[in-house]
Amino acid sequence: MAAKNRVYKCLNPIGNQEAVDLSPLAPRLDKLDGKTVHLCICGEADIWVPLEKKLKTDYPNVNWTSKKRYHIVPWELTEEERKTTDAVILGVCW
Amino acid sequence: MPYLADLEQSGIPTVLVVFNEEIEKVKHDSTLHGVPKLRYVVASRNSLGGVSEAHKILDPTLDALVRPLTEEEKAGGAWAPKQPRILFEGSLEDAEEFYKQTIQIPRLLGAPFSKYGDGLPLVVPTEERVEKMLKGTSHKPEELITLQREVKLRGGPSASVERLPVKKKGEVVQFMPLYRTATVEQVAVNAVMAGCEPNQFPVVLTIAESGGGTGDGRGGGGAFVVSGPIYKEIGMNVTNFIFGPGNPVNKALGRVGSIMWRNLGGYEETITTITTLGSAVTNGGFMFPEYAEGLPEGWKGLNEELGFKKDESVLMPLNMMGGWGIGQQHMPGVYRSLQRTGHGAIARYLGVKGTPGPHNYLAYLINGIWATMEGGFTLVMPQQIAQDLYDYGYKTKESIYEYIWKQSFEPVAKYRMRGMPDFTTNGWLGIEKTSGKPWKELPDDYMVPVGGDNPFDSYNVLVINMEETATARFGGGHSNGYSIDAWR
Repeated sequence: MAAKNRVYKCLNPIGNQEAVDLSPLAPRLDKLDGKTVHLCICGEADIWVPLEKKLKTDYPNVNWTSKKRYHIVPWELTEEERKTTDAVILGVCW
Repeated sequence: MPYLADLEQSGIPTVLVVFNEEIEKVKHDSTLHGVPKLRYVVASRNSLGGVSEAHKILDPTLDALVRPLTEEEKAGGAWAPKQPRILFEGSLEDAEEFYKQTIQIPRLLGAPFSKYGDGLPLVVPTEERVEKMLKGTSHKPEELITLQREVKLRGGPSASVERLPVKKKGEVVQFMPLYRTATVEQVAVNAVMAGCEPNQFPVVLTIAESGGGTGDGRGGGGAFVVSGPIYKEIGMNVTNFIFGPGNPVNKALGRVGSIMWRNLGGYEETITTITTLGSAVTNGGFMFPEYAEGLPEGWKGLNEELGFKKDESVLMPLNMMGGWGIGQQHMPGVYRSLQRTGHGAIARYLGVKGTPGPHNYLAYLINGIWATMEGGFTLVMPQQIAQDLYDYGYKTKESIYEYIWKQSFEPVAKYRMRGMPDFTTNGWLGIEKTSGKPWKELPDDYMVPVGGDNPFDSYNVLVINMEETATARFGGGHSNGYSIDAWR
């Protein structure tokens, strides 16, 4: 009976989450024509085959660049490549 | 996600193409990495050939790059979740109900998901019980879990295409998928909940040092082997039914990784992590010890193989890819017939009928073992089989690893038909290790190892105490050793 009425303090098993600064998104492009848009292809690539083809066919005035890998971690742009890249489409792993 | 966050933060607009079942995880990860309003487009994983799906997502994908930002998307801020040290105050009965709580996750179709554990009943972590647990170590309760020595990470299915990192001594351990950290006391809370005793706490802290069974966020609670004298001190079962129920030490220690994955790592299925089926072998809890006393003369214990001393107690997480059901199986007596009198199925297979042993049992065991799986495996065997292998000529464990690995070679033409190499060779764009040449330049008859990158990382032999002559096996060889003694 005593144990039933006793108040126990019970501890928290959850780990420590560091605080995260939240950023706004980068400003969007005013148009696509004349821009360099990078295709970052990683993970299962099936959907990318028709997507890449159609992007290049339907938007010939965009300068399309790409890096492909089957691994789930994407190949990143170098600092030099970033200087000339206006936008990135990444899929399907992140 | 860190890459996408970095691009957005450096002024490059992005859009992510994801699959339907990943939406919740994308939302979660984008917050965790500081870009909570990251734009994404959802595709179906099951669209045939991907053509109609590609056409469907094309316009939304490009729109995400040019559509002006909303006020919400332009906003900054902070995400700072805080947890109290005392989670519940009340009677023990009410506390049991509290820790038994479940949450609802839409994709689990109404099946409850444990809020604080692995789904089994939990021991309530009262302040007194946690205090008692903390007496099992000399480390201070407020100390953060850090690496006690440098670790050069080994193994895993992506090793062929990904450079594995070296982690420095003193580095704070992050528990995945939420990159959380933990103190010794927080690990003690989880140890109490799993049903561990204070004398087992150094093992639990070592599990935490190794990542707490959280892996890259899909750790499944991990799977572990203990080497060294501590197994006897704390009463682990090292004998018959080593993978079965009955021994509270193997069971509690096997379970604690799953609880840490949930609490320290923040695992919530389809929300913070997306797995596939889990492992039918580990099933969320797997821990057993090695019986070094049963090793043949000259064979090293796992602790020595991993660079520790013979009398040091060590924990090794298993790089396990699941069960290893292919290859041969037999009744224990068939093995004894082989080695004693040269009779039975194994003797017929080896062509040694009528000739007493020792015979090369491994040649039989690995027949067809890579038929449907790649990579290496761990063999768990009783001391008699180990001694027979020694008597046959395997004077070291390394000679076994080398023998098995060499049997795994097959022509590139056949290797191309396998399921994993599309991934591990980076779509055949990578370099084949034994030749140093690009995969695409290799002739069809070039022989490559199916059974892992190298013998030591891919294979492992562990001896247990048992008179029966049977073996068990599961995927993965040697990974990294972590000192249990460092956490005493």
